[in-house]
Amino acid sequence: MDYSFQFRVIEANIDKFVGGLALGLGLALASILVGTLIGIFCAFATTAKSKVPARLVNIYVSAFRNTPLLVIILFAYFALPQIGLRFGKNESFILSLAIYAGAYLTEVFRAGLAGVPKGVVDAGRAIGLTGFQVALYVVFPIMLRNALPALGTTFISLFKDTSLAAVIAVPELTYQARKLNTETFRVAEAWSTAAALYLATCLVIAAGLRRLERLFPKF
Amino acid sequence: MSLLAIRGLIKHFGANEILKGVDLDVDKGEVVSIIGSSGSGKTTLLRCVNLLEEFDGGEITLDGTSIGYVNRNGVRRRLGERELARQRAMTGMVFQSFNLFPHLTALGNVTLGLLKVKHMPRQEARDHALSWLKRVGLADRADHLPSQLSGGQQQRVAIARALAMDPKLVLLDEITSALDPELVGEVLSTIKALAEEGTTMLIVTHEMRFARDVSKRVVFMDGGKIAEAGPPAELFGNPKTQRLRDFLGRASGHI
Amino acid sequence: MEQFLHELWIARWAIAQGLVVTIEVSFAAIILGTALGTLAGVGLSYGPWPIRWPIRMAVDAIRGIPVLVLILAAYYLLTFAGINLTAFESGLVSLTIFCAAHMGEIIRGALQSIPAGQVDAGRAIGLTFPKILVYVLLPQAMRQIVPVWINTGAEMVKTSTLLSVIGTGELLFRTQEIVGRNFMTLEFYGLCGVLYFLVNYAIEYAGKFAARRFALQ
Repeated sequence: MDYSFQFRVIEANIDKFVGGLALGLGLALASILVGTLIGIFCAFATTAKSKVPARLVNIYVSAFRNTPLLVIILFAYFALPQIGLRFGKNESFILSLAIYAGAYLTEVFRAGLAGVPKGVVDAGRAIGLTGFQVALYVVFPIMLRNALPALGTTFISLFKDTSLAAVIAVPELTYQARKLNTETFRVAEAWSTAAALYLATCLVIAAGLRRLERLFPKF
Repeated sequence: MSLLAIRGLIKHFGANEILKGVDLDVDKGEVVSIIGSSGSGKTTLLRCVNLLEEFDGGEITLDGTSIGYVNRNGVRRRLGERELARQRAMTGMVFQSFNLFPHLTALGNVTLGLLKVKHMPRQEARDHALSWLKRVGLADRADHLPSQLSGGQQQRVAIARALAMDPKLVLLDEITSALDPELVGEVLSTIKALAEEGTTMLIVTHEMRFARDVSKRVVFMDGGKIAEAGPPAELFGNPKTQRLRDFLGRASGHI
Repeated sequence: MEQFLHELWIARWAIAQGLVVTIEVSFAAIILGTALGTLAGVGLSYGPWPIRWPIRMAVDAIRGIPVLVLILAAYYLLTFAGINLTAFESGLVSLTIFCAAHMGEIIRGALQSIPAGQVDAGRAIGLTFPKILVYVLLPQAMRQIVPVWINTGAEMVKTSTLLSVIGTGELLFRTQEIVGRNFMTLEFYGLCGVLYFLVNYAIEYAGKFAARRFALQ
């Protein structure tokens, strides 16, 4: 077969690739922020005295963990406009990914919450903190620290999931690779660059997370 | 008038009646120890006094104020969370498993209540907390996390945390039971020093020698009621009820 | 509502076919992927470094890139290299590789958590290592991972939706065809979502049942 790998093709297009990568990271960041808020809210909701919030949260978690992300993305972008909810591509994608992530993060934060030693809540109440103060100053920080490793791996997962934005023509990294492929037929260059960039980014994020975990000692 | 007055305290856990009508008085500056087998309701009694548990009948009065409940139009109602928290701040509790806040340093553990409940200015809270850590002998460990402290040290920080809030009454729930034997001594001497300074304390303990040493009165609980009470010499030397005799007989190694 | 039911009736075979293809490709991927993953897991746990390192790098590389990239890259590279696979076959190859990398890690973890004493016990009764692996270690590892394995099956079903991007005729692709015709995005994407949810919920349920039945304690 007559194919020689041409680095200059990569060089010429590297800005598009890196731009796509940056967009992907931005989408992932936005999604995990919103998803984290959803997850923390839902985790605390399940601690309410009534059983209703917990049941609703369980339905949410079950629904979104069992439905493929791609279907959610397409539904949000193509189906929601029919009931009047029209979003731009990026916003629609972030919404989909955040709600999807929220379902997983709810479980992460629930586990973090369960890892808070029971006696510590008593101690907080014993010094006169109100229930809200105990939740804010005692439970919340401990829950966050417990959840840190899982939060990290979820972020890496979400970053890889941003590749699905390509399906609704968001110009992130996978979209750029596919575009280069179909326009120039430089198959190997396009895909090896995309793969290398994704891989390198995941490794860097993982290393950064390990450093972060060491900064906050586990109790 | 006693600082703490408990009248007819009743508490159910589901179908079980754990406290069957407890009457107890503690005067200011008095140290009272509670002994008894597990299940007799000792810990539950303590947790009712600092409102960590609700109670179903009877009344608890602290420094003249009836706490936990209010009678409105003849209906007995539990107070709201904010009022309960305020009342809880009047008592201090030290727990068997220390329950230090793992994400805060020793200093942070002691200052949390000062800052968020008493709304002390930051520097004042810090100084006050450090003085208490000094009194329990841990001023040099102020910046350590609980995971970096031994059991005995953690318990002493817990004592400082409770006392820095300047409570009217301190409740101690088997505070040496979870400690290795060689660490028990440092905690007991801290408590002894506090007793000598006139801190009002209600202590649940199995350390009979300690109870004898530090308390003005010892109370024996059995089956949810106070079966016998009196000065330590009398209670341990001349038990009047059979139940107490049996209990002490079983615990005889400790006297 | 009547229009939806009408369209649904027209589309019934397409949807049924899509479901069948989804289940076929997911099932095949998990079976083949588990077989391949077992080899990888064994290699990672017990292999000498010339075997371990390449497998480690391959597994980490595959897990470090998005599945969609794997699927697209495989599809385009294979076509370009003159290997003409159908969309289904190409997709199956990608899914299998993805599954194998995933399972390889899981099986490695399970094998390494088996107490070393088991190998000693096997040796003590005169078994050679290959026999110990097959009769003592793998059975234990497999029983341990049943819940995770079921979960991976559900993941495969969800991941199979990505195959629609290369034209594989699974459920999502069929749904897109239907929607392309009648523009009823809300109803048909919604139905699609519900169908996937039901399939995965059934798998989750079967998983709970299997976990109880196969649990070691």
